[in-house]
Amino acid sequence: MEYLIHLAIFCAIYAILGISLNLIMGYTGMISIAHAGFYGIGAYATAILSYNYGMNFFLSMLIGIITSMIAALLIGMVITRLRGDYFILASLGFNFIAFSIMLNWQGLTRGALGIPGIARPKLFGLSFMLDQNRTVNLDFLILSLVILGLIYVACRFIGSSSLGRVLKSIREDETAIQVFGYNTLNYKLLIFIIGAGMAAVAGSLFASYISYIDPSTFTVNESVFIIAIIILGGLANLKGSILGAIFLVLLPEALRFIGFPNEIAGQMRLGIYGLLLVILMLYRPQGLMGEYKL
Amino acid sequence: MSIVPQLIINSLITGSVYALMAMGFNLTYDTAKFPNIAHGSSAVVGGYTVFYLANQHGLNLYASIVLGVLAAGIFGWLCDRVIYAKLRKRKATSAVLLIASLGIFTMVEAGSAVLFSSQFQTLASLIPNQKIFLWHNLAFTEIQLLTFIASIAVLLLAVCGLKFTQFGKALRAVSDDAEVAKIVGINTEKIIGSTFFIGGAIAGLAGIMVGLDTGIQPTMGLFLLLSGFGATIIGGVGNVYGSFLGAVIIGFLENFGVWTIAAEWKATIAFVVIILFLIFRPQGLLKK
Repeated sequence: MEYLIHLAIFCAIYAILGISLNLIMGYTGMISIAHAGFYGIGAYATAILSYNYGMNFFLSMLIGIITSMIAALLIGMVITRLRGDYFILASLGFNFIAFSIMLNWQGLTRGALGIPGIARPKLFGLSFMLDQNRTVNLDFLILSLVILGLIYVACRFIGSSSLGRVLKSIREDETAIQVFGYNTLNYKLLIFIIGAGMAAVAGSLFASYISYIDPSTFTVNESVFIIAIIILGGLANLKGSILGAIFLVLLPEALRFIGFPNEIAGQMRLGIYGLLLVILMLYRPQGLMGEYKL
Repeated sequence: MSIVPQLIINSLITGSVYALMAMGFNLTYDTAKFPNIAHGSSAVVGGYTVFYLANQHGLNLYASIVLGVLAAGIFGWLCDRVIYAKLRKRKATSAVLLIASLGIFTMVEAGSAVLFSSQFQTLASLIPNQKIFLWHNLAFTEIQLLTFIASIAVLLLAVCGLKFTQFGKALRAVSDDAEVAKIVGINTEKIIGSTFFIGGAIAGLAGIMVGLDTGIQPTMGLFLLLSGFGATIIGGVGNVYGSFLGAVIIGFLENFGVWTIAAEWKATIAFVVIILFLIFRPQGLLKK
């Protein structure tokens, strides 16, 4: 039971990452390999504030969201201007830089040592914590699902609003929508910032749940994983992203049951995501439930 | 100030590794019209082939290097034949090709970690009595000198090959306009395949040289890829001289950046300059 709850929490965290990237990639058509960078900013904000100042989880999450959005604003102002291929590689570069800062800015992030002892959320004196009397992380799962629900509703709303229609038309034909007088750059920047903020929420949840983080979680490989989730589920389909997250979180667990040692299982997990991307590109580029084909 | 001449030498050495990455990346980018992320994997394949043959099986170093370069080239060629060619046939957008190459990149990183562990492995033990050249206060190793010479040699070969050989002319025709090239009877698919072989082989050489100088690990492909990409952007897509120039510029930026600012910002400095180029001079320094 404990194990199932653990997996469910992970599914929820990756579902948040998936649907937020889907806003950027599926709705707007900007292929971003930077998502793990924003995820990491959220996680590190919660970790540093909790470890150094003992700050409340929800406050630190808020600060994480703001930091991540500012980072997205600064980097987005520049890279959303770039055309297709260059945007993708620049976002990849951003993820690499974010990772190398987490690794090298040891005064702030403790580098490869990582940050331990991150507190669990507390709300109105109620602690989402595994204490002596409790054996399960049920509270944390409920919290994660509530946050996932809120983000899902928000994304759904964005998708069906007039903003969503503008985003989709940017994806289909940017020049055409410019002719109608829309400043597409602003819209692209806006959705990039919103997506980054949501990724930071997932990061805060992750840091607080695992209670220890180090830079190796936020590499480019993690971005590739999130991309695999949404391409498998289908671009511009939020339910697809949630299903993709569940499927891809559970799939490697099967590997561990087959009996591969942990390190090799981790690498095989990575290899499977890569293979999956290649196969999807070859045979089904729109994913399982996709509404948009790359 | 006495450190400056040494920094210049270090910059040229770093630059020549990046130049090897950039020239191959540039060639494939120019002909196949998408940034091949798996280009970084070719360096990994090259480095680990030498590690497997020479370190683990005691094969002669020179033979291993030749086989490593070949293996990297064949890897590049296979990626094109098995995956990219199929996608091109279906008129897939460059985003699809790019994501497929991202998938290959991830697979190679995972595969080499499973086979050889994710530890940092050095190939330098293969050259036990490496000469270190000292001249006044300047120092560089034999491998570093060889890397520099190799990058110049590849540059000259590429420039002459593109200009004077039949293959080079066909390649330029394909990169100018693949449709027209096909109409006048050039086998475009074969040309693109060969370009991937050549690009992969040069990247493999870069990976091997890095391995002999410092060491290899499965994740090294990403940094090499980004440097090659950056050099291509700064120098100009489709211009081999440009790639070399761009790579040397990145080498200088990194080494002098480390000198004046802290070392952890090395990659960031290069990234910022590349972004500035993308915005203000997307065609690069040298025109095609």
